[in-house]
Amino acid sequence: MSTVAKIWATLILIILLALIFLFIGSDLDFNYLIPKRLMRLATIVLGSICLAFSSIIFQTIVGNRILAPSIMGYEAVYLLWQVLLLFVMGTNGLMLLGVSGDFIVSIVLMLAYSWALHHWLFPRCKNDVYTLLLFGLVLTMVIGTITQFIQLRISPGEFSVFQGLSYTSFNRSQPETLSYGALAVATVLWVSRKTLPVLDVMALGREQSLSLGVNHPRYVKLYLALIAILVAVSTSLIGPTVFMGVFIANIAYALAGSNQHKVTLPIACAITIAIFLVAQIFVEHVFNYKTSVSILVNLVGGIYFLALTVRTRGFT
Amino acid sequence: MMLRLSILFAMLCLASLMIGVKQIAWTELFSFSADTWLTLTASRIPRLIALVLTGVGLSVSGVILQHIVRNKFVEPATSGGLDAAKLGILVSLTMLPNASTSSKMIFALIFCFAASLLFILIISRIKFKSSVLIPVLGLMYGSVLSSIAEFYAYRHNILQSMQGWLLGDFSRVVQGHYELIYIVLPIIILAYIYAHRFTVLGMGEEMAASLGLGYAATAALGLMLVSVTVAASVITIGAIPFVGLVIPNLVALKYGENLSRTLPVVALGGACLLLICDIFGRLIIYPFEVPIGLTAGGVGGVIFLVLIMRGVR
Repeated sequence: MSTVAKIWATLILIILLALIFLFIGSDLDFNYLIPKRLMRLATIVLGSICLAFSSIIFQTIVGNRILAPSIMGYEAVYLLWQVLLLFVMGTNGLMLLGVSGDFIVSIVLMLAYSWALHHWLFPRCKNDVYTLLLFGLVLTMVIGTITQFIQLRISPGEFSVFQGLSYTSFNRSQPETLSYGALAVATVLWVSRKTLPVLDVMALGREQSLSLGVNHPRYVKLYLALIAILVAVSTSLIGPTVFMGVFIANIAYALAGSNQHKVTLPIACAITIAIFLVAQIFVEHVFNYKTSVSILVNLVGGIYFLALTVRTRGFT
Repeated sequence: MMLRLSILFAMLCLASLMIGVKQIAWTELFSFSADTWLTLTASRIPRLIALVLTGVGLSVSGVILQHIVRNKFVEPATSGGLDAAKLGILVSLTMLPNASTSSKMIFALIFCFAASLLFILIISRIKFKSSVLIPVLGLMYGSVLSSIAEFYAYRHNILQSMQGWLLGDFSRVVQGHYELIYIVLPIIILAYIYAHRFTVLGMGEEMAASLGLGYAATAALGLMLVSVTVAASVITIGAIPFVGLVIPNLVALKYGENLSRTLPVVALGGACLLLICDIFGRLIIYPFEVPIGLTAGGVGGVIFLVLIMRGVR
């Protein structure tokens, strides 16, 4: 199949899935059920775009295929910030800061974390992927511990607000968060629209891209900033996704049959949307809410990630 | 050196007996009032015993695992054993709702042993080993096991309670509810008796065979000791990650790897770490308590991060 045909095929697949998702068992209830599902669909689409873009761009910058922002602790930092906010200011504080305030501060925080990773961790770990990975996993656990500790200190009402934030779900978004997210994503897409070929060059590595005339350090900074924004949006919309980013990026590389970002990025978005839609349809209609999207995603993504790491190390 | 550590240990034990919601003054201790003694025998002394046994057991099982796998970053939390034990308890709870502690123990033991064995088999087949790859795989393996547990728990509506009771917490330890942890005592003695064998095990399969050691049998014995310790500690106290990793590494940095010499240091170090974390957890939000799973997990995690960065440089 040519790449164009592939993109069309995945597009049709998503539209079909979306229609199934919208109308299955709905009795065409346009007053309540369908608008609710439209919201969820919009959340899934927006969250998926963020997740796919952030994962693939991150992998290109770091130069390997088993790291993703979520594994490197971005989401843990976001959750820590949210619980700190609840602890210091309470639910009223959340109101006071408003959705937009929370959003902007989260993005600034993610930017700071990106900067710390770039200036402190990456130079120290040189190119040792597994050290980076181990560091990311343990850091996520430590930050998780601190988050849990603060959870103990907050009141039950605030606790339930936070509990809602700490797992993957498509039901939490409100029109306001959704519109902020859409705005941010549109900005990011607009900024990166012209620079997709630059990403292809950067995939060759730092020295190669410098000799090909790409201002590598400058673009790394730009992309880390974009990733920070995307992760903030995706975590606030659909919650932490853990191994999902690695999962979809690798499937996208395999399906695309090309390393050009103008091919891999749309295909990755499509795959993410499709997987989330299938997961949500399964949870709603097959498992009858006896399981959650978060658990399914963790299970499948985790097993895949384990297999991927074992395989890339020459399993006999 | 042992002397200094022993003094620290003795002081920590004393502090652990004194600190708590019910104040115990020095003078009261020797007046033998019934009230004070009830507090001591029903709560403080069981807690102290549980703390020491868990600390010693976890750090010793960390050492044993590290010698079996021949990787310094392996311990029950980074090889799937801890998560498998949780899964085992969960399965026993749903299959036998009136499960006694001993049947829970057996389930946890079997799961922990099987999962650790599987992990060792998987990594022994990987060609290009790097010292940080193994713990990475172990952590991922553990997270897969715990997401299976979550999947299972969610279906049975016990997810919330599971998250509660699987976090290491010594505040549940009172007379009559902790005695299972005594099983760690014979394990520690066995580990000490076989210490030199585990040292040889750490030199690799060929070396062990040429020194006349049955590799598979010794490894299986070690794994069994580890599984019993982990299962008993998860059931009575809950999960405490990283203790078995941090202490042996810190000791090895200072005193080398000869187990029969360093094992006592490792054991005391593990007990001291748990005592310190427990006292800290009891004081920081006094009169409430922070579960030890959080304090020890946090402290252990940070030291682990430092060790990783040291390993790089």
